[in-house]
Amino acid sequence: MKRTRTLSVIGPLVLLLLWEAAVRFGWINRAFLPSPSEVFHSLGELIASGQLARDVSVSLIRIGAGFVLGALPAVGLGLLMGVSPVARALIQPFAAALYPVPKIALLPLIIVVLGLGETSKIATIAISVFFLVVLNVSASVLQVDNHYFEVARSFGARPRDLFWTVALPASLPGIMNSLKLGMGFALTLIVGVEFVGANEGIGWLIWNAYEVYAIDRMLAGLVVIALLGWLLTVALDELEYLLVPWQKPSRRIKEARVGKGMGVWWNAIRIWSYTAATIPVVLGGSIAAYEGRFHHPWWLLLALIGSIAIQAGTNLVNDYYDYKKGADGPQSLGNGGSIRRGELTPRQTLGGGLLAFTIGSVIGLYLVYVTGPFIFWLGLFSVLCGYFYTAGPFALAYVGLGEIAVFIFMGPVMVIGSYYVQTQHVSGLALLASLPVACLVAAILHANNLRDLDSDRQIGKRTLATLFGRAGANLEYYVLVGGTYISLAVLVVLGLVPWLTLISLLTLPLAIRLMRIVANEHEPIKLQPVLRLTGKLHMQFGALLVLGWVAAWAWSTFG
Amino acid sequence: MTPKINIDSLQVIYPGRGRNMPVEALAGVSLAIADGELVCVVGPSGCGKTTLLRILADLEQPTTGQAIIAPDESNRPLKGMVFQGAGLFPWMTVAQNVAYGLQLRGVAPRERLTRAQHWITTMGLERFAQSYPAQLSGGMQQRAGLARAFTYDPQVLLMDEPFGALDAQTRLILQATLLDLWEQARKTVVFVTHSIEEALTLGDRVVLMSARPGRILHEVMVPFARPRDPITLRTDPRFSALFAEVWGVLRAEVEHSRTAELEMAP
Ligand SMILES: Nc1ncnc2c1ncn2[C@@H]1O[C@H](COP(=O)(O)OP(=O)(O)OP(=O)(O)O)[C@@H](O)[C@H]1O
Ligand SMILES: [Mg+2]
Repeated sequence: MKRTRTLSVIGPLVLLLLWEAAVRFGWINRAFLPSPSEVFHSLGELIASGQLARDVSVSLIRIGAGFVLGALPAVGLGLLMGVSPVARALIQPFAAALYPVPKIALLPLIIVVLGLGETSKIATIAISVFFLVVLNVSASVLQVDNHYFEVARSFGARPRDLFWTVALPASLPGIMNSLKLGMGFALTLIVGVEFVGANEGIGWLIWNAYEVYAIDRMLAGLVVIALLGWLLTVALDELEYLLVPWQKPSRRIKEARVGKGMGVWWNAIRIWSYTAATIPVVLGGSIAAYEGRFHHPWWLLLALIGSIAIQAGTNLVNDYYDYKKGADGPQSLGNGGSIRRGELTPRQTLGGGLLAFTIGSVIGLYLVYVTGPFIFWLGLFSVLCGYFYTAGPFALAYVGLGEIAVFIFMGPVMVIGSYYVQTQHVSGLALLASLPVACLVAAILHANNLRDLDSDRQIGKRTLATLFGRAGANLEYYVLVGGTYISLAVLVVLGLVPWLTLISLLTLPLAIRLMRIVANEHEPIKLQPVLRLTGKLHMQFGALLVLGWVAAWAWSTFG
Repeated sequence: MTPKINIDSLQVIYPGRGRNMPVEALAGVSLAIADGELVCVVGPSGCGKTTLLRILADLEQPTTGQAIIAPDESNRPLKGMVFQGAGLFPWMTVAQNVAYGLQLRGVAPRERLTRAQHWITTMGLERFAQSYPAQLSGGMQQRAGLARAFTYDPQVLLMDEPFGALDAQTRLILQATLLDLWEQARKTVVFVTHSIEEALTLGDRVVLMSARPGRILHEVMVPFARPRDPITLRTDPRFSALFAEVWGVLRAEVEHSRTAELEMAP
């Protein structure tokens, strides 16, 4: 198992090295085939110039719209054809006749009818996906073992029961497969569609590179397409697990029975913890305001909702993987929050998390569209890190990187991102100004780890606290909380940050009280309030800091 | 007293399709089953036992003759079936499978889960209530199938070799469980099996069918008092006598059908 995995990494690496060597030593003419490093280099340029982000988001929007518009009606109609011989007799001949027509061949016709704009591109994808999915779905309904229908009828199932309790669930695996096929098809098509009459999009990028004979850029585009394909497959695999949980034996987890109601969701996403995401986003906006560049309140709101969605997604996915690792492993890691309390099933939790990530991504893509590519990379990076915070073999939270991840994301990343949304610029000032809140938000997580120090150590969960030991962990807490105030003071003294932000020093007494408790206590029960109060400190400090920035703006404008 | 189930000169011919000849599965079966009786049907493979149950379950139409189940005043469903191989839905958890009949009858989710839970516990499956069928062993699946039928609580229970695919120990245990349940509930049961021992252990009466096309060859009343215990029963001298009687008839029939099949082969 380990060995095959190593081989599957080494194999491609060796190939890449050989390729690189072949180009370097001139065995291959680099005009025809540039070396991997050159491809990598031009990929870097595409990223740096922002072109890639724009092209990828344009293509993703086209694929997404075309896929949804084609696949949704196709699934409905395919199911209908599967259960109703009449519908089948009516539709099957058309579908079967049109299916083998290469859809790209329809593009000229579609362009004649719909013009050269977005509509014709989306329509081409939608139509192709539609025919593929409709035939596959109806076939998978027809393949459902008749035995299941008989079982259902023996329990008195009426025709509509047969549909909802047998035909639909039994063909779900088939439906998922046709969706995967359709997605692969959409990816192939987008390239072709964008070859014609497009001036942005990943297909256009490849075509354009070919026209100016920039083979390295062309190959970079292909690498991106491959990556996109892989990502979309992973996403569909997750969706498949959600819809067809009985199919994936390796991932099956006993589903706990569940009480309903929105309340459990509020609990699960820990709604009270969202000041952690709110503060940095609002701070970014207020820094822009201070510079007189706050022009888009709605975009601030969107950035806020997007960030909260990503935080919620992170929380839920973490619950899921915490629970899964705890349930699978010899000892229980973490607690899996709502799942352990029996409020949500693992499946609902993962589903909710992915939904939250999707909402965050859609908002993110819109912001990329209206502001610029920088948000794309920020958002992608955030979603990936949020997901892998507890998922995957290098779960950040389990290797002592939790505080660092939180420091980076709920500090600089969010402040800079929100600032960028307003100004379309990346600012060193925003980075520096985010440091105090970054320290404090890391302190919240650390307060949690400090409280769980002994139990984490017993179950072998690695956090910075368990690595440092009690004394070191206490010191870390002082550094984080103290660092908050010191970094702010330094920034003010250096004249980088308006002096009015010093108003946040009003929270100093609470900070001192907290450090005292940490110094004197080590029982979990005594440290419990530290967690809650550190959260409160973060909120108060952050709110005052924002107030300081806004006051400084008002001072300079009206004063 | 009118019988609960009345089967009258039942004939079933499966129409031939393409090059396949029509198959006569049942040739004039008549049988009356009293309310609360447990009748076991034994016969050579392919003689039409499943066909008989399918007719009773309304999954198949007779060619001639009829099979009628007389409903009682209760609003319980008329008939329910336990399938050869449990026939659980792979996309439902055990609890959902067991509650399926109630779901179709529109019982509220909370109530149907409570009722399903009762039978799940009786079958010793409580730890697997939220598992999917593929996660269960064959014996557990069959128990879940039983739980599903008992939760549905029909007036007549049709059971098609429910223990056929199980190992001997599991089979004995489930026989005991079934005896226990039936002795409490006393519903009308038609139980199809290949095993003469099983038929004698469970049944009030054992009906023997001929090779295809199926007819009724012989009937044996089973005299053992209830409650019965599957193990001690086997030491009873009447048990071996009855076994010999049934086996004698069946053996002649199986050998007869063998030679018939050999003659038919090209
Ligand atoms: N749908 C069908 N179409 C045509 N022939 C059928 C069909 N179902 C059953 N048969 C035939 O009818 C005969 C009786 O089948 P049935 O399944 O009732 O036998 P059985 O007694 O239950 O056999 P077993 O003990 O092996 O389960 C068999 O010869 C079978 O091939
Ligand atoms: Mg059979």
